[in-house]
Amino acid sequence: MNVTVNRTKVEIFEGAQAQHAVLRYLVHRHLAQSWLKRGCIQDAYGHQIGLDAPLREGQIIKFKIR
Amino acid sequence: MKKLLLTLAAACLLASAAFAEKKEIHIVSINDMHAKIENFPQFAAVIDSLRAIYPELLIFSAGDNRTGEPLNDLYEIPAYPMVALMNQIGFDATTLGNHEYDGGQANLARLINLSNFPYLACNIIPDPKWGINVLPYKMFFVNELRVAVIGATQVGPAGHPDTHPDNCTEILFTPVEETLQEYKWLRDESDVVILLTHIGYEEDVELSKYVPWADLIIGGHSHTQVAGGEFHNDVMITQDINRLERVTFITLTVENGKVIDRKAKNIEIAGYPKQNKIVAEMVRYFSDNPAFQRQLATLTAPMTTYEELGCMMTDAWRVETGSDIAFTNTGGVRYDYLPAGPFTVSDVLRLDPFGNTLVQFSLTGQELKDMLIATHYADIEYGFPKVSGILCNVILDKKDNKKIKDLKITNPDGSKFDLKKTYQVVTNSYTAAIAKSPRKDQGRDLNRTTAAVIQEYLEHQGTLDYTGVNRVTQSVSAK
Repeated sequence: MNVTVNRTKVEIFEGAQAQHAVLRYLVHRHLAQSWLKRGCIQDAYGHQIGLDAPLREGQIIKFKIR
Repeated sequence: MKKLLLTLAAACLLASAAFAEKKEIHIVSINDMHAKIENFPQFAAVIDSLRAIYPELLIFSAGDNRTGEPLNDLYEIPAYPMVALMNQIGFDATTLGNHEYDGGQANLARLINLSNFPYLACNIIPDPKWGINVLPYKMFFVNELRVAVIGATQVGPAGHPDTHPDNCTEILFTPVEETLQEYKWLRDESDVVILLTHIGYEEDVELSKYVPWADLIIGGHSHTQVAGGEFHNDVMITQDINRLERVTFITLTVENGKVIDRKAKNIEIAGYPKQNKIVAEMVRYFSDNPAFQRQLATLTAPMTTYEELGCMMTDAWRVETGSDIAFTNTGGVRYDYLPAGPFTVSDVLRLDPFGNTLVQFSLTGQELKDMLIATHYADIEYGFPKVSGILCNVILDKKDNKKIKDLKITNPDGSKFDLKKTYQVVTNSYTAAIAKSPRKDQGRDLNRTTAAVIQEYLEHQGTLDYTGVNRVTQSVSAK
């Protein structure tokens, strides 16, 4: 399925969680995976969501380093 | 005289209407606890404090109480610790999250029967033979008010909740919004109508358009941290981030059978300074679970390398999912020695502690080759993945021995591996995320944890000997 992380389209497996999309985004951006633990994931409305929040096709999320 | 009496009666009625008493309902809502049992002593202390002020406090869970903590999920009766803790705290109701089905229908029925609180979901119809006692709604009588709570469970694109399809084969699921409309009549019978849903925040916002007759949606599933309560289409929506970090405390004010004020605020649980001692003792008991020492298989010889243990792990995933090939990032194999003798549940959880799930792909041989190389680079600290169903010869660059110059794959019998053929390949969700390589199929989560599948494999094998098993060889290129 396709989701968007920080305006970058990411293709990820069906049933992936927010952390998986962010990991793929970090790999795509050549950033260390350890950043995942230092950041905050938000939904399209700006709410914080959990690392293991389920994702659905077309979902937009943001990843911000704290 | 008669006229005077009538006038007096009318005046009394008017006065009583003018001074109708405002009544409050207090609720603690929580969602997606995912068996974070270590936060329960603090959670119970928060509830104790609130109950001291509001004795008629209602406590609702919007589902996904279980799954995510082996202490709970691998208990003798899977997920019973959460039920016991929720009973002790005195939950008033829960809805069914998609993970409530993770233990299968028999386990769900058993857990419901062990619970002192009802499970609410209007959009499920279980086959009666399973004895899954779920109510569509429940009417609570609190502070002389009638509070109707209607449950709704998540239904994914496949027509069932996001769990392994085998877990709910004999449960019929109906569309949430459409089914909820069948309970609109509760508006006329109640002072307050609450929807206890496990469908996700954005879906709750959409749902609010169609349920203006509801006062409040207590939501779950998307692990969304809503600041207090948000109003959408004049319906208040609440939800908290998962794993009992926060709960929401809601106050509804009712006058003349109508909710005139709705307030909600978040309460931090994780850092709460007090603990309920009884609940703390229960958590200690469940954490010291003798079931973790249960022997799954016998090792006839010690396992002495990451390679041997990684081969066993990937064999487990391949065999138990009926796949052709399995692999794992080497960083996912957490120790390199296990003595001969019992292989216990605890050994599995130390070996694979991450709570990853299995992801299955249909890949051509070439796509698999690319994915193995991508995994190597994404997990470079640990090196080339561990595999099952193939043999790999990794040819490293002479100048940079972390760089792969070539990868030669053969079948387990040494015959040529077909790069054009399509294979069923399984790996863990972490590897599936980090391995960025070209492939048509991005895979699908099997909703089975990698550790649970290893346990199944060990139980099926009985005895094991992986002495000297090595499927990945490395050489350095001549040039």
